[in-house]
Amino acid sequence: MATTVSTFGPTEASEARAHSATLAAEWPIYSVVFASTCIIVGLMWDISWHRTIGRDTFWSPPHVLEQVAAIVAGLSCGYVVLQTTFAGSDEARGKSVRFWRFFQAPLGAWVCIWATITMITSAPLDNWWHNAYGLDVKIISPPHMVLAAGMIGIEVGAMLMVLGAQNRATTERDRRRLGFIFAYAGAIVVSMAAVLIEENAAFGNEMHGSAFYKLTATVIPIFLVAFARSSRLKWPATTTALLYMVFVLLNMWVIQLFPAQPRLAPIYNPVTHMVPSPFPLLLVFPAVGIDLLMRRFGSDRDWPLALAIGVAFVGVMLAVHWFWGDFLLSPYARNSFFAADKWDYNNRLGPWRYQFWNLDRDASRNFSPLHLAQGIAVAMIYAAISARIGLWWGKGMARIKR
Amino acid sequence: MKLQSLLRNLGLTSLCVILSAHVGSPDAWFEGNAGPYKVTIQVQMPGVVPGVAQIFVRTAGDKPDRVTVVANKFDATGGAPPPEVATPLENSSDTYVARLWLMAAGSNSITVEVSGAKGSGKAVVPVVNVPMRRLEFDPRLAIGLSGIGLFLFVGMVTIIGAAVREGTLPAGELPSFANRSRARLAMIGTSIGLALILFGGWSWWSSVDSQYRRNLFKPIASKAEIVSTSVPPMVVFSVTDSDWVHRGDSAWARARQRRTSWTPLVEDHGKLMHLFLIRDDMGAFAHLHPTTSDSIAFESTLPPVPPGRYRVFSDVVVESGYAQTMVTTLTVGQGANGDATKTQLTDPDDSWFTGGAANTRSTMLADGLSMRRVGTAAPIVAGREAGLRFEVLNADGTPATLEPYMGMAAHAVVAKDDGSVFVHLHPMGTISMASQMTFSLRQPGDTIFGRLGRRLSAAEHSAMNATPAATGSVGFPYAFPKPGKYRIWVQVRREGRILTGAFDIHVISGVKSAE
Repeated sequence: MATTVSTFGPTEASEARAHSATLAAEWPIYSVVFASTCIIVGLMWDISWHRTIGRDTFWSPPHVLEQVAAIVAGLSCGYVVLQTTFAGSDEARGKSVRFWRFFQAPLGAWVCIWATITMITSAPLDNWWHNAYGLDVKIISPPHMVLAAGMIGIEVGAMLMVLGAQNRATTERDRRRLGFIFAYAGAIVVSMAAVLIEENAAFGNEMHGSAFYKLTATVIPIFLVAFARSSRLKWPATTTALLYMVFVLLNMWVIQLFPAQPRLAPIYNPVTHMVPSPFPLLLVFPAVGIDLLMRRFGSDRDWPLALAIGVAFVGVMLAVHWFWGDFLLSPYARNSFFAADKWDYNNRLGPWRYQFWNLDRDASRNFSPLHLAQGIAVAMIYAAISARIGLWWGKGMARIKR
Repeated sequence: MKLQSLLRNLGLTSLCVILSAHVGSPDAWFEGNAGPYKVTIQVQMPGVVPGVAQIFVRTAGDKPDRVTVVANKFDATGGAPPPEVATPLENSSDTYVARLWLMAAGSNSITVEVSGAKGSGKAVVPVVNVPMRRLEFDPRLAIGLSGIGLFLFVGMVTIIGAAVREGTLPAGELPSFANRSRARLAMIGTSIGLALILFGGWSWWSSVDSQYRRNLFKPIASKAEIVSTSVPPMVVFSVTDSDWVHRGDSAWARARQRRTSWTPLVEDHGKLMHLFLIRDDMGAFAHLHPTTSDSIAFESTLPPVPPGRYRVFSDVVVESGYAQTMVTTLTVGQGANGDATKTQLTDPDDSWFTGGAANTRSTMLADGLSMRRVGTAAPIVAGREAGLRFEVLNADGTPATLEPYMGMAAHAVVAKDDGSVFVHLHPMGTISMASQMTFSLRQPGDTIFGRLGRRLSAAEHSAMNATPAATGSVGFPYAFPKPGKYRIWVQVRREGRILTGAFDIHVISGVKSAE
């Protein structure tokens, strides 16, 4: 041990100093990744709020969390712009892109600033919308989509900032560290995508209908494939999918611990605690398939690769979620751990809770395996198109250096 | 809260009120008792569903410790949330205010509970929650948002251009000509893509707006005509709305993918319908109670009103507590009306009045009686409580004793000269007594149409008979919705005779109510 102390020489010390200097210079990355996390936590909290309490204001805690996220991202990146433009070193300027030929900052910072302004803009529009057409009649409304564009913008901006750093990293240690942060930032984007389709593709009741597979096939592969293509990890899609599941599970387990009661009538389901989001999609299984296929095909046969991913993604999703749906509808899942059978305060509880919805039916309204098979085939085409776009996007992202 | 009120002010500039349970007067007023406390309650309806209603509660006498409000829809199976505590209104010692989200369309109840040293009690105000108005987009908000939108458009195009031009270059390297060309192409592509997204968003918005307009509240369609072949002539009011005519016909509804969820009519003040005829120049007025055998055609003897074109307002209440006014017109031709002395009225409570309004605050009634509008000389301001109070005096100036007229000390009808406002008022306010009782009498077992209605009729008859005689002074809690010329017909009953006094009221513009 004594030798270790005596050989603790100037080289290692300077490397450690250089490493901590790198970490210090990376603060905007941590700042926007924090903002990105706040956004998705705020969104999941807000959805739970509407399902449990019902009534909210502009200043409800989940809204405040999202506002904080927007402010943190906007201010951090605004500072980065001013710092790089007016006081930046040549190195810092070299890692930036120019805006209107003058202002300089990394690409991700510009996206975050754009997204912050978009989020702020959606507030008066959404307020007007509520006054004009009713309070939160639908989740999918034009002002909410403007807000979602801002939220996704901050998450994508955070991802791009990590990505630039990852792609510039010169040591294996930095590459792995930044690779993990990138996978985390990607997992947040996947969570966002999964939450946005939660109403139609998350509950066990939906898992025997082709609509579930069509929707997930359209929305999910594009992200997993793009992140896999641009990541430096060995199992990038799997890591991202795993982080997504852990992230949603933590939210799901924690939020239902908090007591809450509905504040709007009529109350058909008198819940006593915050209603959690449904169990996350088991994306880790198709993600393993994506990683294996991408390794096998390499990077010069993207069309066949997209087709293979399309078939594999839907095939694995079907194989896993068909039985997972059965389980989620069984009494064994009706507990806090699996969080099945958790409904909104204004749901009139009935036998539909334990039935499959949106089954593929024939003209006489009977379940039809043929219609299901046709739907699954269509889902595979959707997944292939989604994967192809993901490959193209990922290829671009892999080259991002600023 | 400042930001929120700023945002609200930016957006909420022009409200165009269309119609409600009354016509052009969406607020609900109630005056009565909440246990030991005398309260006046005003409910400002949101006009959209779901929306936020503002509830103002004024208490008279002892100051209560706590005022709470809670809303619920007409549905015995849905639970109610914990009540909201109303906060004292600024610059007021006796008024409390609360904001309530009204989620469900249709018949809803607002329950106000007042508690204090005298004990506690509740008052129920029935309200009809329907989308009634379309909010115009404020030009200032439109300009501001368009400016930011343009900036965001240009910003996104610039970011994509910068990403393609420099994003993939190693640190410090300058973009080549090829990089710049690719960036230009990417910017053009992004502009087209964003323009398509914006166009899609605009189409989406337009479709939401047109769907909203289609779903705006419209009173059920009706018509009125005179059957002059009968002696005496009859006025026949018919509901022509196909949803109403086919109510309960599930095959008809299924074929048209419609839901006809109308519950049966119930009696309000002992009558299934209160039919009002108001001549366009407001020079003649009738308050009739037609009979019906099918809830579609309603017939009443035509009273001896002068010829002319009349606006016809018909108040009905259904079992869910949903009160509404149907609107149509009727032309009374020369000689169509019967002879006053020979007319056999359909209902002993039918009444009519011909002639102008009192120029002064006092008007002569029959039998040497007079009716006087009392209160301050200050002008009546739109949106503020009007303080409508009237005294009926004997010939010697002493207060006349009044008999209950259909269970109420008095009835009043308010109409605006252009027909855009019509309200049927009582001393208890704008609300329908039957609607109020549907909420207090409903039980979880009331799933069969008509069951609650029968109990309601029985309870109403006993309540009407129990109404004590009034002492000659009657007030109506109400705020006029907009400035303009109004006429109010006040009806009381004395010695079996219905007496009507008419007054003109000029309402001036002012700030929105209760501020």
